Amino acid sequence: MSDKIDSGEILKSLGKYDLDISNFLPEHKGPKLVLNFNKISTISQVEGVILKGHEIENGVIADIIIKEGTVLEDPIHLCFGVNKETGLQEIFPRIIAEDNSSVTLQAHCSFPNAKNLIHKMFGHIYIGKNCKFVYNETHFHGYTGGATVAPVSYVYVGENSYFENNFFLTQGTIGRMKIQIDIYAFKDSIINSNVKAFGKNSLDSIRVRDAVFLEGENARSIIKMKAAAIGGGEVMMFGITEGNAANTTGHVDCTEIVKDRGSRCRAIPLIRATDESCHITHEASLGKVDSAQLNALMARGLDEDEATDLIIKNML
Amino acid sequence: MSSDVLLSVKDISILSEDRQCNIVDTISFDVMEGSIHSIIGPNGAGKSTLGYAIMGVYHPCSGKIFFKGKDITDLSITERAKRGITLAWQTPARFDGLSVYDYIGVGVKDKNLIEQRVREALEIVNLDPDVYIKRKVDANLSGGERKRIELASVIAMRPKLVILDEAEAGMDLIVLESFMDIFNKIKELGMTILLITHREDIGMVSDNSTLLWEGKVLVNGPFREVMLHYCEKAGLKQICNRTLFERFDQFINGIIKDET
Repeated sequence: MSDKIDSGEILKSLGKYDLDISNFLPEHKGPKLVLNFNKISTISQVEGVILKGHEIENGVIADIIIKEGTVLEDPIHLCFGVNKETGLQEIFPRIIAEDNSSVTLQAHCSFPNAKNLIHKMFGHIYIGKNCKFVYNETHFHGYTGGATVAPVSYVYVGENSYFENNFFLTQGTIGRMKIQIDIYAFKDSIINSNVKAFGKNSLDSIRVRDAVFLEGENARSIIKMKAAAIGGGEVMMFGITEGNAANTTGHVDCTEIVKDRGSRCRAIPLIRATDESCHITHEASLGKVDSAQLNALMARGLDEDEATDLIIKNML
Repeated sequence: MSSDVLLSVKDISILSEDRQCNIVDTISFDVMEGSIHSIIGPNGAGKSTLGYAIMGVYHPCSGKIFFKGKDITDLSITERAKRGITLAWQTPARFDGLSVYDYIGVGVKDKNLIEQRVREALEIVNLDPDVYIKRKVDANLSGGERKRIELASVIAMRPKLVILDEAEAGMDLIVLESFMDIFNKIKELGMTILLITHREDIGMVSDNSTLLWEGKVLVNGPFREVMLHYCEKAGLKQICNRTLFERFDQFINGIIKDET
């Protein structure tokens, strides 16, 4: 099952995209599960974490349990890589963070050579009471635009827990991408969800649905969605927040920049309150770069294109 | 101070968006190289509009703007910046993800000098470079910090003409004192300042002033003379005589004492 050369190759392919992967290379001792296409190439565990993988016909079931009270300084690393040009990869992560645990989970999805490659994920994350759980997912799909990627995640955040989601899709060419994350927040929990996506050309079609359901009293959430579409790329952001319990507070913030002919951005914020004590808000802006920002940079000598590129690069 | 004219505004007029009136009406004045020239006047007089027109944000419907003797009326903001004009905005923009270092450094032409210029500029505006360089120019900065970073960015750029649009607005009194020093430091670095303000105590640092009133120039000249007109026009002559000019004289005497 162990195949450190392959996992190293996949990880190093991430390095092409200016990422610091030093903490995730095979020699790093932290907990990890690394796949090469539909085979498990590396699993390593640490005390307090159970990590198991089961290979299935077109993918892998990954079970992760963070035991009660476990506090990890190193992130748990999941690397779902495919060096092949074509194929189907299906991943089923089942993650449980027991009460009073604190962990960061870093997922890298790398498909550097994709021409007709499909990656699907169907994940469940169960977070207990008084936990801190940070989930970072970063994708790299090469430059050919041949990837079709469809991750779906359901997250259940227990009482008085903090869940942070950082989903970044900004490097290389994306291809077709459809992301869905539904987060159920229970009593006194806090949700901080950040999505960044960059459609760079007409091959890129990105759809993101980021939903928070505030099911427990005093639960709070913020969804921040930032996107840019240039060169004919297309991005749609669907930000949902529902306040379904007393004193819940939520906000959806969506900023999308459009540049070049044929590029398209859409934002659909959907907010709902079913209790008079809820306070749910949204804010969205789409279109060209803010003129105050443009003028500020042009007054320092940048032309409009340079200023726009700098603003997009830093926003994402 | 050089006796050369750096900026010459000739009879410019700017129409309101609804094209019903002139926000700025046939304005003319000169700014001498190496000087601090203030544009003063009440709220709504057209001061900021005039500043934005010089920067190229607004374009006049008539009249010309000359910079170092060259007509720049039709040039873009970028082209004017490349010729040596910049503006510190009254309400500076905020940028997600952009570091203070990158924002201040964006106008430095020689990329080898960026770090030196950024650090030096932050020190001039009394911000610790080690604390601020990695911070972001976003909503986490206070209004005062953002204003100082805006000043630092124009200082690092080293333009020939700096337009300061109410750089002091929203500042507390303690900070205002240091702003006088910052303006003088900018002047010492060889930059000419066009200071847009409606505060007479800030205008005191200027060598010359232009008083705008309802979009027109009432008077050009030395600051004290212009202020007299301002007070007369506003019906504040007695107050001006009692308070403003006492403070003005103290200010001038203070400078004379420092120089001796």
